[in-house]
Amino acid sequence: MNDTSEHIIEVRDLVVKYGDRTVLDGLNFQIRRGETFVILGGSGCGKSTLLRNLVGLMRPYSGEILFNGRDITTMTDDERIEVRKRVGMCFQGSALFNSMSLADNVALPLREHTRLASSTIDIQTKIKLALVGLSGFEEYLPAEISGGMKKRAGLARAMAMDPEIIFYDEPSAGLDPIVAAGLDMLIRKMQSTFNLTSVVVTHEMASVRLIADTVCMLNAGRIVGTGKIDELERSKDPFIQQFFERRPDEESDTRDDYIRSLMGIDLPGNAT
Amino acid sequence: MTAFIYTFGATGRVSLNALYALSRVCVLMVETINWTLVQPFRGRGLRMKAVVFNLVEYGVNSLPIVGLICFLIGAIMAMQSAYQLARFGATQYIANLVGVASMRELAPLMTAILLTGRSGSAIAAEIGTMKVAEEIDALEVMGLNPTKFLIVPKFLAMLIAIPCLTILATFIMILGGYMLSVFALGVDSDLYLNNTARALQMKDFATGFTKSVFFAVVICWVGVYRGFQVEGGAEGVGKMTTSSVVTSIFLIILVDLVFTALFFF
Repeated sequence: MNDTSEHIIEVRDLVVKYGDRTVLDGLNFQIRRGETFVILGGSGCGKSTLLRNLVGLMRPYSGEILFNGRDITTMTDDERIEVRKRVGMCFQGSALFNSMSLADNVALPLREHTRLASSTIDIQTKIKLALVGLSGFEEYLPAEISGGMKKRAGLARAMAMDPEIIFYDEPSAGLDPIVAAGLDMLIRKMQSTFNLTSVVVTHEMASVRLIADTVCMLNAGRIVGTGKIDELERSKDPFIQQFFERRPDEESDTRDDYIRSLMGIDLPGNAT
Repeated sequence: MTAFIYTFGATGRVSLNALYALSRVCVLMVETINWTLVQPFRGRGLRMKAVVFNLVEYGVNSLPIVGLICFLIGAIMAMQSAYQLARFGATQYIANLVGVASMRELAPLMTAILLTGRSGSAIAAEIGTMKVAEEIDALEVMGLNPTKFLIVPKFLAMLIAIPCLTILATFIMILGGYMLSVFALGVDSDLYLNNTARALQMKDFATGFTKSVFFAVVICWVGVYRGFQVEGGAEGVGKMTTSSVVTSIFLIILVDLVFTALFFF
Protein backbone atom coordinates (compact mmCIF):
# COMPACT_ATOMS: atom_id res chain seq x y z
CA MET A 1 0.00 0.00 0.00
CA ASN A 2 1.40 3.35 -1.02
CA ASP A 3 1.02 5.28 2.22
CA THR A 4 3.49 8.05 1.59
CA SER A 5 1.86 9.54 -1.49
CA GLU A 6 0.91 13.17 -1.31
CA HIS A 7 -2.80 12.52 -1.68
CA ILE A 8 -4.65 10.46 0.92
CA ILE A 9 -7.89 10.57 -1.06
CA GLU A 10 -8.39 10.90 -4.76
CA VAL A 11 -11.81 11.09 -6.34
CA ARG A 12 -12.17 10.42 -10.05
CA ASP A 13 -15.29 11.06 -12.13
CA LEU A 14 -17.61 10.32 -9.22
CA VAL A 15 -21.26 10.03 -10.23
CA VAL A 16 -23.95 9.30 -7.65
CA LYS A 17 -27.60 8.76 -8.45
CA TYR A 18 -30.73 8.27 -6.37
CA GLY A 19 -32.87 6.32 -8.79
CA ASP A 20 -32.88 8.39 -11.96
CA ARG A 21 -31.87 11.61 -10.26
CA THR A 22 -28.19 12.48 -10.54
CA VAL A 23 -27.01 13.94 -7.24
CA LEU A 24 -23.29 14.16 -7.89
CA ASP A 25 -22.22 14.63 -11.47
CA GLY A 26 -18.63 13.76 -12.33
CA LEU A 27 -16.59 15.04 -9.37
CA ASN A 28 -12.78 15.12 -9.50
CA PHE A 29 -10.62 16.26 -6.61
CA GLN A 30 -7.73 15.25 -4.36
CA ILE A 31 -7.23 15.60 -0.62
CA ARG A 32 -3.64 16.12 0.49
CA ARG A 33 -2.23 14.31 3.51
CA GLY A 34 -2.43 16.45 6.64
CA GLU A 35 -4.64 19.21 5.33
CA THR A 36 -8.08 20.36 6.39
CA PHE A 37 -10.29 19.98 3.37
CA VAL A 38 -13.66 21.69 3.54
CA ILE A 39 -16.58 20.70 1.35
CA LEU A 40 -18.77 23.76 1.16
CA GLY A 41 -22.14 24.20 -0.43
CA GLY A 42 -25.74 25.08 0.07
CA SER A 43 -28.36 22.79 1.51
CA GLY A 44 -29.23 19.95 -0.85
CA CYS A 45 -26.18 20.36 -3.08
CA GLY A 46 -25.07 16.78 -2.38
CA LYS A 47 -22.33 17.41 0.14
CA SER A 48 -23.63 14.91 2.70
CA THR A 49 -24.06 12.38 -0.10
CA LEU A 50 -20.46 13.00 -1.10
CA LEU A 51 -19.34 12.35 2.47
CA ARG A 52 -21.35 9.12 2.67
CA ASN A 53 -19.59 7.97 -0.49
CA LEU A 54 -16.16 8.93 0.79
CA VAL A 55 -16.59 6.80 3.92
CA GLY A 56 -18.12 3.94 1.95
CA LEU A 57 -21.64 4.07 3.40
CA MET A 58 -22.97 4.39 -0.15
CA ARG A 59 -21.74 2.96 -3.40
CA PRO A 60 -21.45 5.41 -6.26
CA TYR A 61 -23.06 4.89 -9.65
CA SER A 62 -19.69 5.19 -11.32
CA GLY A 63 -16.23 6.59 -10.70
CA GLU A 64 -13.39 5.82 -8.33
CA ILE A 65 -12.57 6.83 -4.77
CA LEU A 66 -8.95 6.06 -3.99
CA PHE A 67 -7.90 5.83 -0.35
CA ASN A 68 -4.11 5.64 -0.16
CA GLY A 69 -4.12 4.65 -3.82
CA ARG A 70 -6.70 1.84 -3.51
CA ASP A 71 -10.23 2.06 -4.82
CA ILE A 72 -12.69 1.63 -1.93
CA THR A 73 -15.68 1.24 -4.22
CA THR A 74 -14.51 -2.17 -5.46
CA MET A 75 -13.16 -3.54 -2.18
CA THR A 76 -14.41 -6.70 -0.48
CA ASP A 77 -16.03 -6.34 2.93
CA ASP A 78 -12.92 -7.54 4.74
CA GLU A 79 -10.69 -5.05 2.94
CA ARG A 80 -13.12 -2.29 3.71
CA ILE A 81 -13.04 -3.11 7.43
CA GLU A 82 -9.26 -2.69 7.34
CA VAL A 83 -9.68 0.73 5.72
CA ARG A 84 -12.30 1.72 8.27
CA LYS A 85 -9.98 1.07 11.16
CA ARG A 86 -7.89 3.93 9.78
CA VAL A 87 -10.80 6.29 9.29
CA GLY A 88 -12.84 8.21 11.83
CA MET A 89 -16.14 9.94 11.38
CA CYS A 90 -18.03 12.54 13.40
CA PHE A 91 -21.72 12.46 12.63
CA GLN A 92 -23.98 15.45 12.51
CA GLY A 93 -26.08 14.18 15.42
CA SER A 94 -22.95 12.64 17.00
CA ALA A 95 -24.53 9.14 16.70
CA LEU A 96 -23.28 8.01 20.09
CA PHE A 97 -24.74 4.71 21.26
CA ASN A 98 -27.39 5.81 23.70
CA SER A 99 -27.32 2.72 25.86
CA MET A 100 -23.59 3.04 26.58
CA SER A 101 -21.60 5.45 28.72
CA LEU A 102 -19.18 7.83 26.99
CA ALA A 103 -16.25 5.65 28.05
CA ASP A 104 -17.90 2.55 26.56
CA ASN A 105 -18.66 4.45 23.37
CA VAL A 106 -15.01 5.40 22.95
CA ALA A 107 -13.75 1.99 24.03
CA LEU A 108 -16.03 0.09 21.67
CA PRO A 109 -13.83 0.13 18.55
CA LEU A 110 -10.77 -0.71 20.66
CA ARG A 111 -12.54 -3.64 22.30
CA GLU A 112 -13.80 -4.96 18.98
CA HIS A 113 -10.77 -4.41 16.78
CA THR A 114 -7.79 -4.83 19.09
CA ARG A 115 -6.61 -7.37 21.61
CA LEU A 116 -5.48 -4.78 24.12
CA ALA A 117 -5.88 -5.54 27.82
CA SER A 118 -8.90 -3.87 29.36
CA SER A 119 -6.68 -1.73 31.62
CA THR A 120 -4.89 -0.39 28.53
CA ILE A 121 -8.23 0.30 26.86
CA ASP A 122 -9.37 2.19 29.97
CA ILE A 123 -6.30 4.40 29.84
CA GLN A 124 -6.66 4.96 26.08
CA THR A 125 -10.30 5.90 26.59
CA LYS A 126 -9.42 8.41 29.30
CA ILE A 127 -6.72 9.94 27.09
CA LYS A 128 -9.11 10.36 24.16
CA LEU A 129 -11.82 11.90 26.31
CA ALA A 130 -9.30 14.25 27.91
CA LEU A 131 -8.13 15.24 24.44
CA VAL A 132 -11.57 16.63 23.66
CA GLY A 133 -11.98 18.18 27.11
CA LEU A 134 -14.33 15.61 28.58
CA SER A 135 -12.24 14.31 31.50
CA GLY A 136 -14.48 13.25 34.34
CA PHE A 137 -17.46 12.55 32.11
CA GLU A 138 -16.51 8.91 31.44
CA GLU A 139 -19.53 7.39 33.12
CA TYR A 140 -22.14 9.81 31.75
CA LEU A 141 -24.72 8.57 29.28
CA PRO A 142 -25.12 10.51 26.00
CA ALA A 143 -28.58 11.67 27.10
CA GLU A 144 -27.06 13.38 30.14
CA ILE A 145 -24.71 15.75 28.32
CA SER A 146 -25.20 18.78 26.06
CA GLY A 147 -25.13 18.86 22.27
CA GLY A 148 -21.63 20.34 22.11
CA MET A 149 -20.32 17.73 24.52
CA LYS A 150 -21.92 14.99 22.43
CA LYS A 151 -20.06 16.22 19.36
CA ARG A 152 -16.83 16.23 21.34
CA ALA A 153 -17.53 12.71 22.56
CA GLY A 154 -18.23 11.71 18.97
CA LEU A 155 -14.84 13.10 18.02
CA ALA A 156 -13.19 11.19 20.88
CA ARG A 157 -14.80 8.01 19.57
CA ALA A 158 -13.67 8.78 16.02
CA MET A 159 -10.13 9.26 17.39
CA ALA A 160 -10.18 6.00 19.33
CA MET A 161 -8.32 3.94 16.72
CA ASP A 162 -5.79 6.72 15.97
CA PRO A 163 -7.05 7.21 12.42
CA GLU A 164 -5.22 8.86 9.54
CA ILE A 165 -8.22 10.85 8.47
CA ILE A 166 -11.36 12.16 10.14
CA PHE A 167 -14.58 13.11 8.42
CA TYR A 168 -16.81 15.70 10.05
CA ASP A 169 -20.44 16.03 8.98
CA GLU A 170 -21.61 19.57 9.78
CA PRO A 171 -19.63 19.86 13.03
CA SER A 172 -21.09 23.20 14.05
CA ALA A 173 -24.70 22.53 13.08
CA GLY A 174 -27.07 23.29 15.93
CA LEU A 175 -24.42 24.71 18.23
CA ASP A 176 -24.11 28.25 19.59
CA PRO A 177 -21.21 30.32 18.19
CA ILE A 178 -19.00 29.89 21.25
CA VAL A 179 -19.34 26.11 21.38
CA ALA A 180 -19.01 25.95 17.58
CA ALA A 181 -15.80 27.98 17.73
CA GLY A 182 -14.51 25.63 20.43
CA LEU A 183 -15.15 22.70 18.15
CA ASP A 184 -13.36 24.47 15.29
CA MET A 185 -10.34 24.94 17.52
CA LEU A 186 -10.50 21.28 18.40
CA ILE A 187 -10.52 20.28 14.72
CA ARG A 188 -7.53 22.55 14.18
CA LYS A 189 -5.75 21.09 17.22
CA MET A 190 -6.27 17.49 16.07
CA GLN A 191 -4.90 18.38 12.69
CA SER A 192 -1.78 20.16 13.97
CA THR A 193 -1.03 17.77 16.86
CA PHE A 194 -1.49 14.48 15.07
CA ASN A 195 -0.94 15.62 11.48
CA LEU A 196 -4.43 14.33 10.88
CA THR A 197 -6.21 14.86 7.60
CA SER A 198 -9.62 16.39 8.20
CA VAL A 199 -12.50 16.47 5.76
CA VAL A 200 -15.22 18.83 6.92
CA VAL A 201 -18.64 19.20 5.36
CA THR A 202 -20.24 22.48 6.34
CA HIS A 203 -22.02 25.61 5.24
CA GLU A 204 -20.84 27.83 8.12
CA MET A 205 -18.63 30.49 6.55
CA ALA A 206 -17.18 31.59 9.90
CA SER A 207 -15.89 28.15 10.65
CA VAL A 208 -14.57 27.69 7.10
CA ARG A 209 -12.37 30.78 7.42
CA LEU A 210 -10.97 29.43 10.67
CA ILE A 211 -10.15 25.86 9.74
CA ALA A 212 -9.89 25.41 5.98
CA ASP A 213 -6.67 24.78 4.09
CA THR A 214 -8.49 23.91 0.91
CA VAL A 215 -12.11 24.61 0.11
CA CYS A 216 -14.11 22.70 -2.43
CA MET A 217 -17.32 24.40 -3.37
CA LEU A 218 -20.28 22.35 -4.56
CA ASN A 219 -23.39 23.54 -6.32
CA ALA A 220 -26.11 21.26 -7.71
CA GLY A 221 -23.85 18.21 -7.73
CA ARG A 222 -20.87 19.83 -9.46
CA ILE A 223 -17.69 21.44 -8.20
CA VAL A 224 -17.78 25.16 -8.94
CA GLY A 225 -14.44 25.99 -7.41
CA THR A 226 -11.51 24.54 -5.45
CA GLY A 227 -8.70 26.35 -3.73
CA LYS A 228 -7.74 28.43 -0.73
CA ILE A 229 -10.50 30.46 0.84
CA ASP A 230 -9.16 33.86 -0.39
CA GLU A 231 -8.79 32.48 -3.90
CA LEU A 232 -12.44 31.52 -3.86
CA GLU A 233 -13.42 34.90 -2.45
CA ARG A 234 -11.84 36.53 -5.49
CA SER A 235 -13.62 34.16 -7.83
CA LYS A 236 -15.85 35.60 -10.52
CA ASP A 237 -18.29 32.68 -10.39
CA PRO A 238 -21.74 34.11 -9.69
CA PHE A 239 -22.75 31.28 -7.33
CA ILE A 240 -19.58 31.56 -5.25
CA GLN A 241 -19.98 35.34 -5.03
CA GLN A 242 -23.59 34.98 -4.01
CA PHE A 243 -22.71 32.37 -1.39
CA PHE A 244 -19.89 34.43 0.12
CA GLU A 245 -21.93 37.62 0.13
CA ARG A 246 -24.86 35.75 1.65
CA ARG A 247 -27.30 37.07 -0.93
CA PRO A 248 -30.66 35.33 -1.29
CA ASP A 249 -31.84 34.06 -4.67
CA GLU A 250 -33.32 36.93 -6.62
CA GLU A 251 -37.05 36.73 -6.92
CA SER A 252 -37.25 36.50 -10.66
CA ASP A 253 -40.94 35.66 -10.78
CA THR A 254 -43.01 38.29 -12.49
CA ARG A 255 -46.69 38.53 -11.75
CA ASP A 256 -47.49 36.50 -14.86
CA ASP A 257 -45.00 33.79 -13.89
CA TYR A 258 -46.62 33.58 -10.50
CA ILE A 259 -50.13 33.23 -11.90
CA ARG A 260 -48.87 30.65 -14.36
CA SER A 261 -47.23 28.60 -11.64
CA LEU A 262 -50.41 28.71 -9.59
CA MET A 263 -52.73 27.72 -12.42
CA GLY A 264 -50.31 25.42 -14.21
CA ILE A 265 -51.10 27.00 -17.59
CA ASP A 266 -49.22 28.98 -20.23
CA LEU A 267 -50.40 32.57 -20.50
CA PRO A 268 -50.42 34.04 -24.00
CA GLY A 269 -47.24 35.90 -24.89
CA ASN A 270 -45.27 34.14 -22.21
CA ALA A 271 -44.31 31.00 -24.05
CA THR A 272 -41.28 29.33 -22.56
CA MET B 1 -60.54 -3.53 -20.36
CA THR B 2 -59.15 -0.72 -18.23
CA ALA B 3 -60.38 -2.52 -15.14
CA PHE B 4 -58.47 -5.58 -16.29
CA ILE B 5 -55.32 -3.57 -16.92
CA TYR B 6 -55.68 -1.90 -13.54
CA THR B 7 -56.11 -5.22 -11.73
CA PHE B 8 -53.24 -6.70 -13.70
CA GLY B 9 -50.97 -3.79 -12.79
CA ALA B 10 -51.98 -3.78 -9.14
CA THR B 11 -51.37 -7.52 -8.85
CA GLY B 12 -47.98 -7.09 -10.41
CA ARG B 13 -47.04 -4.27 -8.11
CA VAL B 14 -48.11 -6.17 -5.02
CA SER B 15 -46.22 -9.28 -6.15
CA LEU B 16 -43.08 -7.29 -6.92
CA ASN B 17 -43.17 -5.61 -3.52
CA ALA B 18 -43.72 -8.95 -1.82
CA LEU B 19 -40.83 -10.49 -3.78
CA TYR B 20 -38.59 -7.57 -2.86
CA ALA B 21 -39.50 -7.93 0.83
CA LEU B 22 -38.87 -11.66 0.60
CA SER B 23 -35.46 -11.13 -0.99
CA ARG B 24 -34.52 -8.64 1.74
CA VAL B 25 -35.62 -11.08 4.43
CA CYS B 26 -33.60 -13.86 2.77
CA VAL B 27 -30.48 -11.69 2.69
CA LEU B 28 -31.06 -10.90 6.35
CA MET B 29 -31.46 -14.59 7.17
CA VAL B 30 -28.33 -15.63 5.33
CA GLU B 31 -26.33 -12.84 7.00
CA THR B 32 -27.66 -13.70 10.45
CA ILE B 33 -27.02 -17.41 10.08
CA ASN B 34 -23.58 -16.69 8.68
CA TRP B 35 -22.68 -14.51 11.66
CA THR B 36 -24.27 -16.93 14.16
CA LEU B 37 -22.95 -20.26 12.92
CA VAL B 38 -20.02 -19.66 10.56
CA GLN B 39 -18.10 -16.51 11.44
CA PRO B 40 -17.70 -17.21 15.20
CA PHE B 41 -15.65 -20.28 14.24
CA ARG B 42 -13.41 -18.16 12.06
CA GLY B 43 -12.36 -16.17 15.08
CA ARG B 44 -14.82 -13.34 14.53
CA GLY B 45 -16.32 -13.85 17.94
CA LEU B 46 -19.80 -13.76 19.33
CA ARG B 47 -20.95 -11.04 21.69
CA MET B 48 -21.91 -13.37 24.53
CA LYS B 49 -22.40 -10.51 26.98
CA ALA B 50 -25.04 -8.97 24.73
CA VAL B 51 -26.70 -12.38 24.29
CA VAL B 52 -27.00 -12.79 28.05
CA PHE B 53 -28.24 -9.22 28.43
CA ASN B 54 -30.95 -9.80 25.83
CA LEU B 55 -31.75 -13.20 27.30
CA VAL B 56 -32.52 -11.59 30.64
CA GLU B 57 -34.68 -8.99 28.91
CA TYR B 58 -36.64 -11.39 26.70
CA GLY B 59 -36.72 -14.38 29.03
CA VAL B 60 -36.45 -13.58 32.71
CA ASN B 61 -38.22 -10.23 32.58
CA SER B 62 -41.08 -11.66 30.49
CA LEU B 63 -41.70 -14.53 32.88
CA PRO B 64 -44.10 -12.73 35.27
CA ILE B 65 -46.50 -11.56 32.58
CA VAL B 66 -46.26 -14.78 30.54
CA GLY B 67 -46.79 -16.79 33.73
CA LEU B 68 -49.77 -14.76 34.88
CA ILE B 69 -51.55 -14.82 31.54
CA CYS B 70 -50.92 -18.52 30.97
CA PHE B 71 -52.20 -19.34 34.45
CA LEU B 72 -55.40 -17.43 33.75
CA ILE B 73 -55.84 -19.03 30.33
CA GLY B 74 -55.39 -22.45 31.90
CA ALA B 75 -58.17 -21.63 34.37
CA ILE B 76 -60.40 -20.23 31.63
CA MET B 77 -59.90 -23.32 29.52
CA ALA B 78 -60.81 -25.57 32.44
CA MET B 79 -64.00 -23.60 33.01
CA GLN B 80 -64.98 -23.62 29.36
CA SER B 81 -64.41 -27.37 29.05
CA ALA B 82 -66.31 -28.01 32.28
CA TYR B 83 -69.27 -26.16 30.78
CA GLN B 84 -69.57 -28.85 28.12
CA LEU B 85 -68.14 -31.90 29.92
CA ALA B 86 -70.28 -31.50 33.05
CA ARG B 87 -73.36 -32.34 30.98
CA PHE B 88 -71.93 -35.81 30.38
CA GLY B 89 -70.55 -36.11 33.90
CA ALA B 90 -67.08 -36.21 32.44
CA THR B 91 -65.37 -33.39 34.33
CA GLN B 92 -62.35 -35.61 34.99
CA TYR B 93 -61.46 -35.29 31.31
CA ILE B 94 -60.85 -31.57 31.72
CA ALA B 95 -57.31 -32.66 32.51
CA ASN B 96 -56.86 -34.26 29.07
CA LEU B 97 -58.31 -31.30 27.26
CA VAL B 98 -56.36 -28.64 29.11
CA GLY B 99 -53.15 -30.62 29.02
CA VAL B 100 -53.16 -31.37 25.31
CA ALA B 101 -54.43 -27.95 24.26
CA SER B 102 -51.83 -26.18 26.40
CA MET B 103 -48.89 -28.19 25.27
CA ARG B 104 -49.74 -28.42 21.60
CA GLU B 105 -51.25 -25.05 20.96
CA LEU B 106 -52.03 -22.43 23.54
CA ALA B 107 -48.82 -22.18 25.54
CA PRO B 108 -46.57 -21.71 22.48
CA LEU B 109 -49.05 -19.33 20.86
CA MET B 110 -49.65 -17.16 23.93
CA THR B 111 -45.95 -16.98 24.69
CA ALA B 112 -45.18 -15.96 21.13
CA ILE B 113 -47.88 -13.32 20.99
CA LEU B 114 -46.88 -11.84 24.33
CA LEU B 115 -43.23 -11.79 23.33
CA THR B 116 -44.14 -10.13 20.04
CA GLY B 117 -45.80 -7.29 21.91
CA ARG B 118 -43.11 -7.10 24.52
CA SER B 119 -39.84 -7.82 22.72
CA GLY B 120 -40.51 -7.95 18.98
CA SER B 121 -41.75 -4.38 19.06
CA ALA B 122 -38.79 -3.41 21.24
CA ILE B 123 -36.38 -4.85 18.68
CA ALA B 124 -38.04 -2.91 15.85
CA ALA B 125 -38.07 0.30 17.88
CA GLU B 126 -34.47 -0.05 19.01
CA ILE B 127 -33.06 -0.74 15.56
CA GLY B 128 -35.31 1.90 14.00
CA THR B 129 -34.19 4.55 16.47
CA MET B 130 -30.57 3.61 15.94
CA LYS B 131 -31.05 3.93 12.20
CA VAL B 132 -32.65 7.35 12.51
CA ALA B 133 -29.87 8.56 14.83
CA GLU B 134 -27.19 7.38 12.35
CA GLU B 135 -25.97 4.87 14.94
CA ILE B 136 -26.10 2.04 12.40
CA ASP B 137 -23.97 4.14 10.04
CA ALA B 138 -21.60 4.83 12.91
CA LEU B 139 -21.19 1.09 13.50
CA GLU B 140 -20.39 0.54 9.85
CA VAL B 141 -17.90 3.38 9.67
CA MET B 142 -16.15 1.91 12.70
CA GLY B 143 -15.83 -1.33 10.76
CA LEU B 144 -18.28 -3.14 13.04
CA ASN B 145 -20.81 -5.33 11.31
CA PRO B 146 -24.37 -4.37 12.36
CA THR B 147 -25.51 -7.97 11.86
CA LYS B 148 -22.94 -9.31 14.28
CA PHE B 149 -23.33 -6.43 16.64
CA LEU B 150 -27.10 -6.01 16.77
CA ILE B 151 -28.95 -8.89 15.19
CA VAL B 152 -27.07 -12.00 16.26
CA PRO B 153 -27.30 -11.38 20.04
CA LYS B 154 -31.05 -10.73 19.72
CA PHE B 155 -31.52 -13.74 17.47
CA LEU B 156 -29.70 -16.14 19.79
CA ALA B 157 -31.40 -14.75 22.89
CA MET B 158 -34.82 -15.08 21.28
CA LEU B 159 -34.03 -18.60 20.09
CA ILE B 160 -33.20 -19.66 23.65
CA ALA B 161 -35.77 -17.57 25.52
CA ILE B 162 -38.95 -18.48 23.67
CA PRO B 163 -38.70 -22.30 23.80
CA CYS B 164 -37.73 -22.11 27.49
CA LEU B 165 -40.60 -19.74 28.24
CA THR B 166 -42.95 -21.98 26.29
CA ILE B 167 -42.07 -25.01 28.40
CA LEU B 168 -42.62 -23.03 31.58
CA ALA B 169 -45.84 -21.56 30.17
CA THR B 170 -47.13 -25.07 29.44
CA PHE B 171 -46.64 -26.12 33.04
CA ILE B 172 -48.20 -22.94 34.38
CA MET B 173 -51.19 -23.30 32.08
CA ILE B 174 -51.74 -26.88 33.21
CA LEU B 175 -51.37 -25.65 36.78
CA GLY B 176 -54.05 -23.03 36.15
CA GLY B 177 -56.43 -25.70 34.87
CA TYR B 178 -55.53 -27.96 37.81
CA MET B 179 -56.17 -25.26 40.41
CA LEU B 180 -59.55 -24.38 38.98
CA SER B 181 -60.68 -27.97 38.51
CA VAL B 182 -59.56 -29.19 41.92
CA PHE B 183 -60.56 -26.19 44.02
CA ALA B 184 -63.61 -24.86 42.18
CA LEU B 185 -65.05 -27.87 40.32
CA GLY B 186 -64.19 -30.53 42.87
CA VAL B 187 -62.23 -32.85 40.55
CA ASP B 188 -60.02 -35.27 42.44
CA SER B 189 -56.42 -34.03 42.51
CA ASP B 190 -54.73 -37.40 41.86
CA LEU B 191 -57.16 -38.20 39.10
CA TYR B 192 -56.48 -34.88 37.41
CA LEU B 193 -52.70 -35.37 37.53
CA ASN B 194 -52.94 -38.96 36.34
CA ASN B 195 -55.20 -38.04 33.47
CA THR B 196 -52.85 -35.23 32.45
CA ALA B 197 -49.84 -37.54 32.52
CA ARG B 198 -51.65 -40.18 30.50
CA ALA B 199 -53.00 -37.73 27.93
CA LEU B 200 -49.69 -36.11 27.08
CA GLN B 201 -47.34 -37.81 24.66
CA MET B 202 -43.89 -37.02 23.41
CA LYS B 203 -45.44 -36.04 20.10
CA ASP B 204 -47.42 -33.26 21.78
CA PHE B 205 -44.28 -31.88 23.35
CA ALA B 206 -42.47 -32.04 20.01
CA THR B 207 -45.27 -30.06 18.31
CA GLY B 208 -45.23 -27.31 20.89
CA PHE B 209 -41.47 -27.13 21.05
CA THR B 210 -40.95 -27.03 17.28
CA LYS B 211 -43.55 -24.33 16.95
CA SER B 212 -41.93 -22.22 19.64
CA VAL B 213 -38.55 -22.37 17.89
CA PHE B 214 -40.07 -21.12 14.64
CA PHE B 215 -42.08 -18.47 16.46
CA ALA B 216 -38.81 -17.19 17.92
CA VAL B 217 -37.32 -16.93 14.43
CA VAL B 218 -40.39 -15.08 13.15
CA ILE B 219 -40.52 -12.58 16.02
CA CYS B 220 -36.84 -11.73 15.80
CA TRP B 221 -36.64 -11.43 12.03
CA VAL B 222 -39.82 -9.42 11.67
CA GLY B 223 -38.62 -7.02 14.39
CA VAL B 224 -35.20 -6.64 12.79
CA TYR B 225 -36.58 -6.31 9.27
CA ARG B 226 -39.12 -3.67 10.25
CA GLY B 227 -36.49 -1.85 12.28
CA PHE B 228 -34.19 -1.58 9.30
CA GLN B 229 -37.11 -0.38 7.17
CA VAL B 230 -37.53 2.76 9.28
CA GLU B 231 -37.14 5.95 7.28
CA GLY B 232 -37.44 9.52 8.45
CA GLY B 233 -37.85 10.27 12.11
CA ALA B 234 -39.85 9.34 15.16
CA GLU B 235 -42.98 8.84 13.08
CA GLY B 236 -41.26 6.15 11.02
CA VAL B 237 -40.17 4.35 14.18
CA GLY B 238 -43.74 4.31 15.50
CA LYS B 239 -45.16 3.12 12.21
CA MET B 240 -42.70 0.29 11.78
CA THR B 241 -43.01 -0.79 15.42
CA THR B 242 -46.76 -1.16 15.04
CA SER B 243 -46.32 -2.87 11.73
CA SER B 244 -43.80 -5.30 13.23
CA VAL B 245 -46.38 -6.46 15.77
CA VAL B 246 -49.11 -6.92 13.16
CA THR B 247 -46.85 -8.74 10.68
CA SER B 248 -45.36 -10.87 13.39
CA ILE B 249 -48.72 -12.01 14.80
CA PHE B 250 -49.97 -12.80 11.31
CA LEU B 251 -46.89 -14.86 10.51
CA ILE B 252 -47.05 -16.62 13.87
CA ILE B 253 -50.60 -17.76 13.15
CA LEU B 254 -49.55 -18.85 9.67
CA VAL B 255 -46.58 -20.84 10.98
CA ASP B 256 -48.85 -22.28 13.64
CA LEU B 257 -51.28 -23.48 11.00
CA VAL B 258 -48.52 -25.10 8.95
CA PHE B 259 -47.01 -26.95 11.89
CA THR B 260 -50.34 -27.99 13.32
CA ALA B 261 -51.17 -29.45 9.92
CA LEU B 262 -47.78 -31.19 9.71
CA PHE B 263 -48.10 -32.79 13.15
CA PHE B 264 -51.72 -33.69 12.52
CA PHE B 265 -50.70 -36.49 10.21
